[in-house]
Amino acid sequence: MKFKVVEKDVLNPLAEIMMVKEELNPIPYDFESVSLLDNTKPGANVILELLEKNLGKRKFMRAKKPAGSPATIKQLEKAANSEIVILALGDCGSCSSWIILDAIRLEKMGKPTISICSDRFLNFAHELAKSHGAEDLNILSIKHPVAGLSTEEIEEKTIQILPSLKYLLQIP
Amino acid sequence: MKSVKMEKKSPRSRSKENCSCLIEDLLENAKTDDRLCEVSPNDIEVFIDPDPEKTSYNFYIRRMTDGLPIIPPTRDRVLKFMAYTDRNPDDLLAVLPPRQGKAIIEKIAINSVMAGCLPQFMPIVQHSIEALSIEKFNLTSVNATTHPVAVCTILNGPVSREIGASSGDGCLGPGNLANATIGRAVRLCLINIAGAVPGIGDHATMGSPAKYSYAFAESESESPWDSMHYEKGFDSLTSTTTVMAVEAPHNVNDHRSKHAEELLETISHTLSTPGSNNSHVPGEVLVIMSPEHARTISRDGLDKQDVKNYLHENSLVSVELGDRGGRKLDKKWIVDGNIRITRSPNDVVLVIAGGDGRHTMIAHGFGTSSESVTLPILFKDGTPVQSVHDFKE
Repeated sequence: MKFKVVEKDVLNPLAEIMMVKEELNPIPYDFESVSLLDNTKPGANVILELLEKNLGKRKFMRAKKPAGSPATIKQLEKAANSEIVILALGDCGSCSSWIILDAIRLEKMGKPTISICSDRFLNFAHELAKSHGAEDLNILSIKHPVAGLSTEEIEEKTIQILPSLKYLLQIP
Repeated sequence: MKSVKMEKKSPRSRSKENCSCLIEDLLENAKTDDRLCEVSPNDIEVFIDPDPEKTSYNFYIRRMTDGLPIIPPTRDRVLKFMAYTDRNPDDLLAVLPPRQGKAIIEKIAINSVMAGCLPQFMPIVQHSIEALSIEKFNLTSVNATTHPVAVCTILNGPVSREIGASSGDGCLGPGNLANATIGRAVRLCLINIAGAVPGIGDHATMGSPAKYSYAFAESESESPWDSMHYEKGFDSLTSTTTVMAVEAPHNVNDHRSKHAEELLETISHTLSTPGSNNSHVPGEVLVIMSPEHARTISRDGLDKQDVKNYLHENSLVSVELGDRGGRKLDKKWIVDGNIRITRSPNDVVLVIAGGDGRHTMIAHGFGTSSESVTLPILFKDGTPVQSVHDFKE
């Protein structure tokens, strides 16, 4: 007689992904107002202040949100009062998550966004945006680390991202 | 490894290689002495379990484990877990971040098998996964953070006792099957369903031993006070699971205090820790108090609320030390130059557990970024599961 020994199959523990697709908003060709959304991480205010000084004569509006949790509706509505929203800073796991997810919430409200994350968390930020249906979300990277540095050191790193930011914004 | 869609309690499908021979023909008209049927390539197929070492390694290199060996999740093992849920295998409980993985019942069962759970633990794991998907738990941040926050699962009610979850000696480990494997199953679900793979979806700077497993039951019979789930509005016949995002526990050794205030002073000093998330974004803390400590406090006439009030009022750090955390200190937390590590007495989650001995364990939370969630263990029609045997009826 012929015997066949068969090893039983094992089942896959990995979950299927919930596929969604978010519509993102194009950056307007010309714009007058920018919201700077600060998640209060160390250095976020320094980055946003320096950007404000280098983006021409426009109307800038400051707003705050928590770092490791979602912005409140009121905070989002305040940030959405401008034509573009720039969010900073994602330089850890939880704050990068909520920079990206709050950026997506703003995009759903019709606002184009640019999120700033440190380069160490850039891949994660892109993957997170992708898994939430926003693969093409605008994310700029600043060299890690930012926390623990002096104001001058953070400004130096911020200057390096200005060309990319201006390219995204289509301004000289 | 195959991803096989599972029908609940389905009979094993027939082999496509069946030859249609009648058994009488096989026995009476066999052409050779050693073959039952020449049409079939084999006379007998023997199904054996996969080699656990090989399966563990194959899963490990695909980053689907916590690094420890696993029980191979075969279909028959997973089916045994289906006997302890009234849901269908493809029922969607939640979508878990950051990977946005669909937490369907079958995947929870597969990961529970891998963790070494008994099938009877399925209702606990299932409801724990549902609990940590509730918005206020903020699983997005709990999974992705650089902070070493773990998910602690606290069990109350008759089901925790029925399955043998430990609330006594060494309840935080090692040594108890339910505690060890339920906590591990929750972690494997986070890795494989939510995508909390270290360095990919979980960015903990160092991680924590508490991320391997972190589950225990409250010792309701040894507590001089109402149980935690009673505080949250559930009766003693309802079983609950509570998920809480906390650090690994830190011991409070106090053998000498004879009165409540001395003992609470020691505990509050241990809670008053700069560098914890609570020190700059106040939130929940977990206090696991031994029955002996609880009785020392209780015999002085203090109730549970008194303990929470004391710890809230007296657990604090200076502004100078508190304002070194990851987020800018909000001035609203400052009281007389200090920051309380909790927002209110209700942030002190007090649970009685452990064996003999004069110890309390405290675990700082994730600050304002996560709230614990307690869910009752229910059938899908909303009635409480009083015994795991109820699923068989």
